[in-house]
Amino acid sequence: MITQLVAQTVVNGINVGALYGLAAVGLSLTFGVMKILNIAHGEFLMVGGYLAFWLLTLRGIDPFVSVPLVAVAVFLLGMICYRFLFAGIARFEEETKVKNSLLVGFGLFLIVPQIARLLWTADVRSITPKYSGESFPLLNVRIAYVPLGGLLIAVVVILALHLLLTKTYFGKSVRGTSENWKAAKLMGINVDRTYLFTFAIGTGLAGVSGVLVGLTQALTPDIGMEWTLKALIVVVLAGIGSVGGAFFAGIILGVVEAAGAIFMGPYAVALGLVIFLLILMLRPQGLFGNE
Amino acid sequence: MNRKTSSLSMGKLFSISGIIVVLLALIPLLTGRTDVITWFTFTLMYVTLSQSWNIIGGYTGQQNLGHAAFFGIGALTARYLWLFGMPLPLALLAGSLAAAAFAIIIGFPAFRLKGVYFVIGTLVLAEILRIVFDTLLPRASVLPSRLLNVYSLTPRYYLNLIIAVLAIGCVYWISRSKFGLGLMSIRENVDAAEASGVNTQKYKLLAFLLSTFMSGLAGGTYAYYASAAQPGYLFSAVWTFDAVIIAFVGGVGTILGPVIGSVFFVLIQQLLSLYLPGGIHVLVFGILFILVVLFLPGGLIGLWKKITGPDSKNGGGRIDSRD
Amino acid sequence: MLKVDQIDVFHGDLQALWGVSLEVGKGELVCLIGANGAGKTTIVESISCLLPPAAGNIWFNGERLNDKPAHKAVQAGICLIPEDKGIFRGMRVLENLELGAFNPDSRRLRYDTFKFVYELFPLLESRKNQIAGSLSGGEQQMVAIGRALMGRPKLLMCDEPSLGLAPIVVKNIFAVIKQICQSGVGILLVEQNVRAALKLAQRGYVIENGRVAGHGDARDLLNDEKVGSAYLGTT
Repeated sequence: MITQLVAQTVVNGINVGALYGLAAVGLSLTFGVMKILNIAHGEFLMVGGYLAFWLLTLRGIDPFVSVPLVAVAVFLLGMICYRFLFAGIARFEEETKVKNSLLVGFGLFLIVPQIARLLWTADVRSITPKYSGESFPLLNVRIAYVPLGGLLIAVVVILALHLLLTKTYFGKSVRGTSENWKAAKLMGINVDRTYLFTFAIGTGLAGVSGVLVGLTQALTPDIGMEWTLKALIVVVLAGIGSVGGAFFAGIILGVVEAAGAIFMGPYAVALGLVIFLLILMLRPQGLFGNE
Repeated sequence: MNRKTSSLSMGKLFSISGIIVVLLALIPLLTGRTDVITWFTFTLMYVTLSQSWNIIGGYTGQQNLGHAAFFGIGALTARYLWLFGMPLPLALLAGSLAAAAFAIIIGFPAFRLKGVYFVIGTLVLAEILRIVFDTLLPRASVLPSRLLNVYSLTPRYYLNLIIAVLAIGCVYWISRSKFGLGLMSIRENVDAAEASGVNTQKYKLLAFLLSTFMSGLAGGTYAYYASAAQPGYLFSAVWTFDAVIIAFVGGVGTILGPVIGSVFFVLIQQLLSLYLPGGIHVLVFGILFILVVLFLPGGLIGLWKKITGPDSKNGGGRIDSRD
Repeated sequence: MLKVDQIDVFHGDLQALWGVSLEVGKGELVCLIGANGAGKTTIVESISCLLPPAAGNIWFNGERLNDKPAHKAVQAGICLIPEDKGIFRGMRVLENLELGAFNPDSRRLRYDTFKFVYELFPLLESRKNQIAGSLSGGEQQMVAIGRALMGRPKLLMCDEPSLGLAPIVVKNIFAVIKQICQSGVGILLVEQNVRAALKLAQRGYVIENGRVAGHGDARDLLNDEKVGSAYLGTT
């Protein structure tokens, strides 16, 4: 019986953890490349979730099918936000840039949930396609279809991102710009445009996470900050600049939280936050980072 | 910092302020409407709260997003001590000291974090506290009937008035003192400040202590005001965010900025809540906030200065300028 | 080909260049000499559009480059190898070279350019999967020059290529630079090693305190008394 409990906990932890990882990857990308911490990251996640919800409710589009649609939509939204809000800041030298981008993100964090509340009310929503509750047994545990699908999507998306960054010209230019933007400029890379697309990809990834969050948890206009914090914990745990590491760090966090819930009950929510502070204090470069 | 103030304008300033304070003191006598008095009470509390953040965020340039933690500690401590019979002034003092004590504990590790990590770290810390207290004390603390029966807004109003005046006075003192100069130099460039002999670590901590003490005091006044208070709510990040947006929109790093901001904030909040669902004032202020960050770093005060011009009659008596 | 006309350049509020003018013709090897901090780096940064001039003009093949963003200068055919080499040390040699050909035109022709670069620097081919930061100083310089060539420049600017390198390596680098020039690429060489630079170049400009203090044929400058005492240690 104990082994079943442990195994089920681990499975649940992995499912949630994959979600954490996916949510974090976008933030890690933006922070690593542009040194901008988008504190409104969770808001894009929330919007993505609601988009998928309405696509299902109003048009009957299966949430897994709507993932690419949501990705594109939130990508475009991110482009607009960057162009009008963050682009001017990206030119400043590091300290001002970081501070101002935090403030602008904070402003977005204030505004977006209010708009969401106006548009969609504060009712709790859940994306529940027909096969929602179903699961199949595997060895000792139950594997539910929806979280499994979420896990697969997360893995696929992160692999795709990895391929983008390592195999394509654009991806390489992003990595180069991240390391040395001056050298990038001298190679003819349009750094402003690179930042624009990187930011948009980051938000697009957040949007995809939002779909998964809507599928496996609940959506309200206020979940943004909670998820930004989760993503932050994972980013710091993995180490800035480690995009692949973010996924594994997410899994670790997910499993730790799931285990923690058994022993600590309602306090388990604070567990991730405590880990965050500990990492900041004791091992700032994170588990996989290199700075 | 603009020290070109003649004693004549200073006198003018003090007398105008004095008149305003006297007028404010008369409000409960002029009207019996509880909603108006509540409105003013809240504005005054927000003045104190935003001024407290102004000290650490505006003058010292450390964007502390964990401010709610100190508000909460002050509120919780003051409330329970007062409910157990401690006279109110002592309870308030104890609350503020508790908040400052917590600041000492976390101050050293917190200030080791640089830039964005400090901001996020403080936010996370406050969130941890909120979760802990929310889980530990889920039920709201309600005033017992002996206190509910004699509940009157008036003393609460005057308490907030006095504390708000003290808060403004404190910030005024900071803006004119060597201490304040040191803080502002830290805000502009920490390394340069250190190089010119400012003990940045000490100054940051002192500003932090002052800021959290005042925040705890504000929390205490809220605890006194609220007939029912849920402990988790006392630690809600909303208190931080309100303080930050008020300070920024009003004019961060100025004396009057948070005052104007608070007035504006409560005004918009009350007006909008008449016609639109609650929370909309946050939307308005969020937009204003972004506009201030991107285009108007001086906030409303800065805008006012631009409009009235640097060489207008008011120029000589300017309280301070944020540069 | 390149005509810099009376430019004033500022670093923030500090003026760095006053009325600087210079020219580089097609296939010419021109050097900029002068003391540390004289403004030589500022000049080449301005030509690559990293630092727009506050006054004056920069003309390249008839096109005015003043306010264009840096990547436009690369598109026009100007490549700068900065003092810190301007390569991505965390990425592989091959990736550095690929990114050097980021420009769509260069990208199309990159396989040809690879051949040219590998011929010039066989080491780059043999080490192409190695992380650039793990190479020696001289090898990194090769990567730097290689990636600049991948942009198929018409004008190649080198800022202190000999810095921190052993004399034998420097000799090699200079030989390569000469080779590149002979293939038709214009070169603007910023060098502290004045004697070697003047021996290599056809013409030179002496930069002092942000101004052009003198210019002429390299051989004349080499024999010039003032240049000699200031920079060559001769009397």
